[in-house]
Amino acid sequence: MRPSLRRQSLQFGAALSMIVVGIVFLLPILWMLITSVKPEGQIMRYPPEFIPRQVTAENFASVFRRFAFGRWAFNSIVVAAAATLLVVPVDALAGYALARMRFPGREALYMLILSMLMVPLQVTVIPLFIGFTEVKMLSTHWALILPTVGNVTGVFLLRQFFVTVPAELEDAGRIDGANQFQLWWFVMLPLARPVMATVTIITFMSSWNNFLWPLIAVSNDFTRTLPVGIAQFMGGTSGASGSAPTYGMPTAAAAMATAPAVVVFLAMQRWFVRGITTTGIKG
Amino acid sequence: MAERAATSTRLALRRGASSRWYGGATPWVFLAPFLAAFVLFRLGPVIGGFFISLTRWSIVGSPTWVGLANYRALLRDPLFHTSLINTLFFVLLTVPAMVALSLGLALLVNMRLAPRIFARTSIFLPYVVMAAVVGVIWNWMLDSNFGLVNYGLKLVGLGPFRWLTDFKLAMPAVAGVTIWWTVGFNMIIYLAGLQDVPRELEEAAMIDGAGALAVLRHVTLPMLTPTTFVVLMLTTINAAQVFDQIYVMTGGGPGTSTLTLVQYLFYQAFQSFNLGYGSAVAYFVFLLLAVFGIIQLRLVHQQVTS
Repeated sequence: MRPSLRRQSLQFGAALSMIVVGIVFLLPILWMLITSVKPEGQIMRYPPEFIPRQVTAENFASVFRRFAFGRWAFNSIVVAAAATLLVVPVDALAGYALARMRFPGREALYMLILSMLMVPLQVTVIPLFIGFTEVKMLSTHWALILPTVGNVTGVFLLRQFFVTVPAELEDAGRIDGANQFQLWWFVMLPLARPVMATVTIITFMSSWNNFLWPLIAVSNDFTRTLPVGIAQFMGGTSGASGSAPTYGMPTAAAAMATAPAVVVFLAMQRWFVRGITTTGIKG
Repeated sequence: MAERAATSTRLALRRGASSRWYGGATPWVFLAPFLAAFVLFRLGPVIGGFFISLTRWSIVGSPTWVGLANYRALLRDPLFHTSLINTLFFVLLTVPAMVALSLGLALLVNMRLAPRIFARTSIFLPYVVMAAVVGVIWNWMLDSNFGLVNYGLKLVGLGPFRWLTDFKLAMPAVAGVTIWWTVGFNMIIYLAGLQDVPRELEEAAMIDGAGALAVLRHVTLPMLTPTTFVVLMLTTINAAQVFDQIYVMTGGGPGTSTLTLVQYLFYQAFQSFNLGYGSAVAYFVFLLLAVFGIIQLRLVHQQVTS
């Protein structure tokens, strides 16, 4: 009787701490959402009001009125989608060759590719800036899209998957007269769907959230992406310039920028988590 | 899901015995698109960056070769010293706390209790939020007058604190926010590691009369050593490269109290347009990471041999 009572109270305590911890982590995001629907005049209140007295869409409307938010969102979608559409097939081709074909220099090449995982990306931004300036492509979508194709994570993930595929499957395809490209397309890619889903998620999210390079590479609203856009107009509203800070518009913009990422995450949690556990790499 | 992921890693580590020999052009045709991008946007810039660091180069005009002069100047540059110390401070503030907290949270949400899915999802959710949004959320949460954090602290009789404008508090505040933002990511890695701890081992220890804490200390934690190594390495690498959240929360301020190495790189290269000098800072970050990596590999080596 007594041990089980003790066990039960321990379990109750653990369950309770799970709920508390969950709420603590969620609270800042919820507070952003609550703030975004309050009229500016009711945001700074003491004590804080967790249930808005009045709900308004005014902050959301101002974001579109006063900033190129729609354009930033469009740019973010174009860049992330194009990057993903390029990276997945390119990495699947390379990963396949590295996994299933033995050729002179393969090991050295793979080591060279992997070694780039150790080099901080910040090392590349100055040369990339100079390069894109030289070819007059700074502040274009391409300047944001193309460098992601050089990322190594996807190749690594796909190569690791392709080495596990039994040779018999390829042999069967060969007997049926498939050429190398057909083997890749008809035999390998259908098997690799889960890994490709992971690579898709990692690529899309890291492009969607990418900050440093877009901050450097783009200097106009026409090509600017959401993360940089939000960061820049925050500078104007945070009160750093001496005026009183306002939080209605920033939280509204932040809520709109976060919603797609949260939806994608909740819908594809499985692939997301798998991406982390198989690589431990952010993308 | 984590179990399956862990298994797939293990499978993937087994070498494919089935690849065929190709002497001709076929592999290179498959590799060409990736290699082109890899050389142009990754390998090339990494090598090029080193040569740029050996020049004096402002964005207008052409580069002048100066050898190691930029690196020598770095050693005497007080702002560089500040940013190096701040970066190490940030590493110290975040890494141990991140390892301990992500392990603790993983152990908690690994218990088979009803609210674990809710807890797991909530803890991970901040990780999908972009840096600029992290900045918006926490500038507001940490507002000196109306912020939720100061409100909560006042309820227990503390504060108010000027989190982001106080020279002493700004870096700890940014470190705390970073932990909120990314601890879920590390927790997931630990959760995957926990799936690999054989249940029988823990049960055997229990049968031998070991209490829950003893099992944790003598069975679970030792089994998690490789995972801890991964988490340690990733959090150190990310902390040494910290930029985004500082840029949006404090911009390096107040004063230079949150100026980090990558912040300084950005300032030198893209605000003062000293591209050569900025590259030297970038390569120093690279060097620092290499040193961290070697130290950690040494530690693991000692662990394994002792």
